[in-house]
Amino acid sequence: MFSEHPSAICVYAIDTHPSCLLTTPFGRRGRLPRKNGLIVTVAHIDNSFYEIRIPTLRRYSACEGFKTQGIRHRVLDGGCRLAGALSPDRIDSHLSYGEVFDVFEQKLVELSANGRTVLGYIYPHTPLELPLGLGMTPSLLWARPNAQSGFEASLQTFSCSLTRNLFSQRSNGGLTFLGGLLFPSNTCDSLHNVSDVWRRRFPEDRVFRLTYPAGRLGDDSVQFLAEELRILSECLKNVYGRVLSNEALLRAVSLVNDFRNAAQTLYSCRVMDPSLVSYSEAARLLRHFLTIPSAGAVDQISRSATTAAQILEKRGQLNEAKSLQKELLSGELTGAEIGAKSSRPRIMIAGGMVEPVVVASLFESCNRKEGEVVAFDLLSYGFKTAFTPPVNLEGDPFVTISKSILGAPSEPTQEGLPERLKFLKRVLRRLSINGLVVCDQSFCDPDQFEAPSLVKAASEAGVPTVRLPMDPELSDRGRLEGRIQSFLETLRGRTRR
Amino acid sequence: MTDNSSGKEEKAYRPLNTQDLLQGVLFRYVLEGNAASEEGRLAWVTSGFPVEIPVAMGITPTYPEQYGTVVGAQKVGPTVCGFAEELGYSQELCSYARSSIGSTRKPDESPLDGLPKPQALLACNNICGTVLRWYDAISQMTGAPVFLLDTPPFEGDQQSHHLAYVRRGLDHLVEFLSSRFGVSLEEERLKEVAANSSKAISLWSKSLEACKSKPSPLNCADRFTTMAPVVTMRGAEHTIEFYQALYQEVCERVSEGIGAIRDERIRLLWDNIPPWFTIFRFFNGLAKRGVVFPADTYTHAWTGTLEGKDLFDSAAAIYSNVYLNKGLQAKVDKMVQLINDYDLDGFIMFSVRSCKRYSLGQLVSKELVTEATGVPGVIIEGDMVDSRLFNEAQVQTRIDALLEMLE
Amino acid sequence: MSGRNLGIGLDVGSTTTKAVMIDSDGKVLGSCIVPTGASGVGAARKCLRELSRESGADTNSVSTVSTGYGRSLIDFAKRSVTEITCHSIGVHHLNSSIRFLIDVGGQDSKAIRVGESGRPADFELNDKCSAGTGRFLEVMARVLEVSIDQLGPFALQSKSPCMISSTCTVFAESEVVGRLGAGENSRDIAAGVHAAMASKIGTLSKRVGVVAPVCVTGGVALNPAFRYYLSKQLDVELWIPTNPQITGAIGAALLALEP
Repeated sequence: MFSEHPSAICVYAIDTHPSCLLTTPFGRRGRLPRKNGLIVTVAHIDNSFYEIRIPTLRRYSACEGFKTQGIRHRVLDGGCRLAGALSPDRIDSHLSYGEVFDVFEQKLVELSANGRTVLGYIYPHTPLELPLGLGMTPSLLWARPNAQSGFEASLQTFSCSLTRNLFSQRSNGGLTFLGGLLFPSNTCDSLHNVSDVWRRRFPEDRVFRLTYPAGRLGDDSVQFLAEELRILSECLKNVYGRVLSNEALLRAVSLVNDFRNAAQTLYSCRVMDPSLVSYSEAARLLRHFLTIPSAGAVDQISRSATTAAQILEKRGQLNEAKSLQKELLSGELTGAEIGAKSSRPRIMIAGGMVEPVVVASLFESCNRKEGEVVAFDLLSYGFKTAFTPPVNLEGDPFVTISKSILGAPSEPTQEGLPERLKFLKRVLRRLSINGLVVCDQSFCDPDQFEAPSLVKAASEAGVPTVRLPMDPELSDRGRLEGRIQSFLETLRGRTRR
Repeated sequence: MTDNSSGKEEKAYRPLNTQDLLQGVLFRYVLEGNAASEEGRLAWVTSGFPVEIPVAMGITPTYPEQYGTVVGAQKVGPTVCGFAEELGYSQELCSYARSSIGSTRKPDESPLDGLPKPQALLACNNICGTVLRWYDAISQMTGAPVFLLDTPPFEGDQQSHHLAYVRRGLDHLVEFLSSRFGVSLEEERLKEVAANSSKAISLWSKSLEACKSKPSPLNCADRFTTMAPVVTMRGAEHTIEFYQALYQEVCERVSEGIGAIRDERIRLLWDNIPPWFTIFRFFNGLAKRGVVFPADTYTHAWTGTLEGKDLFDSAAAIYSNVYLNKGLQAKVDKMVQLINDYDLDGFIMFSVRSCKRYSLGQLVSKELVTEATGVPGVIIEGDMVDSRLFNEAQVQTRIDALLEMLE
Repeated sequence: MSGRNLGIGLDVGSTTTKAVMIDSDGKVLGSCIVPTGASGVGAARKCLRELSRESGADTNSVSTVSTGYGRSLIDFAKRSVTEITCHSIGVHHLNSSIRFLIDVGGQDSKAIRVGESGRPADFELNDKCSAGTGRFLEVMARVLEVSIDQLGPFALQSKSPCMISSTCTVFAESEVVGRLGAGENSRDIAAGVHAAMASKIGTLSKRVGVVAPVCVTGGVALNPAFRYYLSKQLDVELWIPTNPQITGAIGAALLALEP
């Protein structure tokens, strides 16, 4: 069963069910017999991501770990843990989100065990450069797919679902890798109130707060945030006994800038041809960095971006992509429409506190055979994170970091709705978007207030929309997939007739 | 005040005479709002906004939150909120916001034909973060521009950079109003308005404090209804007259030992906005069982006055220091203070589903309040406007349990 | 059967599974409804055997498209298409003048604007809550101690429906129990239940934009009280197909005929 493909590796999995069907992000499959275990082949890995689909099983036992042997050795990060039972009727269910969650949790636990302080955060525009410069690892927290309870004694059900999920994880003994937790303030009422409750309920946790300006008062807002950053920095220094050296800060800034450049390139290249890199893959690459911002993570996303750019260069399209990247950063989108003649529908995803990885997996579930349709996103943890202007360390570092944060694409937690809607319309036109998917997080005020405006603006631009109300547990997964599939069928019906 | 000598048994709850005056005041408020809109100088304002400044600049304020109470009281919350839901606004959102959006969309099918068309929308996020998004939505519908006075929340003492930021916000406010309405701010006029506002607030505060007496001269519903002028017409002179009348009636009740309810046996604290759609039935129902509410956290929020040499500094400090802007501990401290000062036997916390800023965290603050005061409390669930979320039977069971603990 | 182009549509719903066989003239040669039970695949096979008996055709060789909640279970279907598209196409086939369709299933409700080609132009689904679905009526029928088939006629006996204010099935259930306990007339309550449901569906429909005449499909379309209150709520005429439960399967079967 060893594949002849040069970049294939073989993984020996112990104690799994005989009829296991393996697919990878690149679609290679193999069916594997059982002997003393299972030998599977996995085509190209650039990360430890792979999917195992087990179509006809009711349950499957946990894999204890993987050994490698074969043409090329490669240690899989974190190993693989399959957990839980599949409902017998869901042929297409796949666990990529849950799987990835487990893998990353494992990595963070190891990081923390090795003495690294992990500072968990929730809000998209957290100043990563600061904790990195202080020798900490800022990590964007994940919602646990099956965390259902644990919050009831402390939070009412109308608390934002994301905070409830995180609270439940903590209540049930999760988030052990956290050395500290950073909440935002003045972004939304849930996050502010929950941080108070968290400190009460988990008094041994180190909880920090960064207060953002909601108003756009130009330099006044910048100065306010700069002062808040200074105070946060002092606080972190004192609590953890750290020093913020210039060199360390420079390295941190450079790392984050590199990530953003690579992410921006990837996004811009995908607009030219979404099939260059699947949206799932792009989302995962971004998520990898946001979970553990390391040189390795930057390396992976850079390689993907470079490969895509090289392909475009051969087609003579790289300049257009670069020019688009500049326009997306500046917000002025005046160039010609891209992709207007595409045979497949071009979808854009918009929304706030939802995971791009999760949205990507919903699309993948219901759109397997038709090819990549997601051309772009305007998500907070996607586009808005990638297209944040770089920090240039001239003068007071807190002021420049503040400028970078406040220069990022605007969120529903801030002033600026009319400008956001104008930008949306420009993007819809410039990127020849045929359909807009508007996501909102359950019980998220900013998302739920913004969504109807996004729908209306798209409708004014002649672009049909579908709403995806999501919760972190994806309790409604089947219905969401149904909506996406119906939406795509509707769009295809249009292009056909 | 007067004995009921017709031979009928006196009602368990005594209506205030000042309620009659209230109708006149509110009527005037509506008329002035309509007139100002026609003259192009109307602004919709959030309840915590430093309204003294626009009033001093000749702009008339009107309050969508107060309109929400009307929608609730007229029991059309589900209908009017439904108009917003048809536009795609989730039922999980603030019901004041939904009422406002719904009535802006369909004024003909809403109470009072909706609110008059605004020329500006002035929001201050000291009461919650939702107001920005709500007013942004209204701005899309009406074309009126939004001004946000950003007062980020904080704990403990306000830091100087924080205060400076809010102070700068006030400067931006004056610029905005000048350019939008072509008006200017005269120092003298601001002093006048601030003085009027302070007088009214001072009379209001004294009326509230009189409830320390036993029996309490005012019950919850009395305060919730009579607070309307101090919220919506703070800088006006006729507002002072109203509160003079109220205070006088309160003083008379105290001196004659007349309580707001006939048989005061149990004194409780009420926390949060009340269920407007059943406010009299609910509180009068409890009055029949001898339960009075001498204090509540909602009406005690409007007590800061502008004073001192620099009114702008004062405004920046007062308006950013409202307790709703200061986190869980401040809420707990407020409740503990009221329970102690007003000698209360217990408390009811209304968990208002659509108000996260006020409600989220009550499960914890309830414990903290009981710990600090030794008195028991109960949480009941519902909403201030959306009656679909209020299950009477469930609520009664919980209150009964509390009363049984106290009897 | 050589030379004859046939198509089968399988609608595997949460409560019932429906199958329809159609020929290339669009004529329905056979149809079947069975309870889905614990196995969508089992129910589907049962339906196919029934179709085979009715039509004489060998279903194994007929092109099949699946739809409904359990559509992805049917691995022998050549495609799976959502109920939104299938109901739209099915209804268009039965009545091409319909531009707006409401499907009330066991567990969800949909409002669909039907395009000129019969494909959906826009749609809205109800939120996660089961109020406004067949489930809601089932729960209420149980509380009112009336069979689900009799619930509609029972409700129509009332001239003054009482207001059910809860939007959630669970809360509405306790509200109804409360009212019964307070001695209110169960016919009025039944009427109120239907009015509440119509109101919920009304809101859903308005988000899409109602265009008369409105078609209603799904099992609940057979309920006369629901039809009455819905028609009142939307202030439009309703058009109900003779067999409102199989429109999804019809649409799927038509798609199966396509190359």
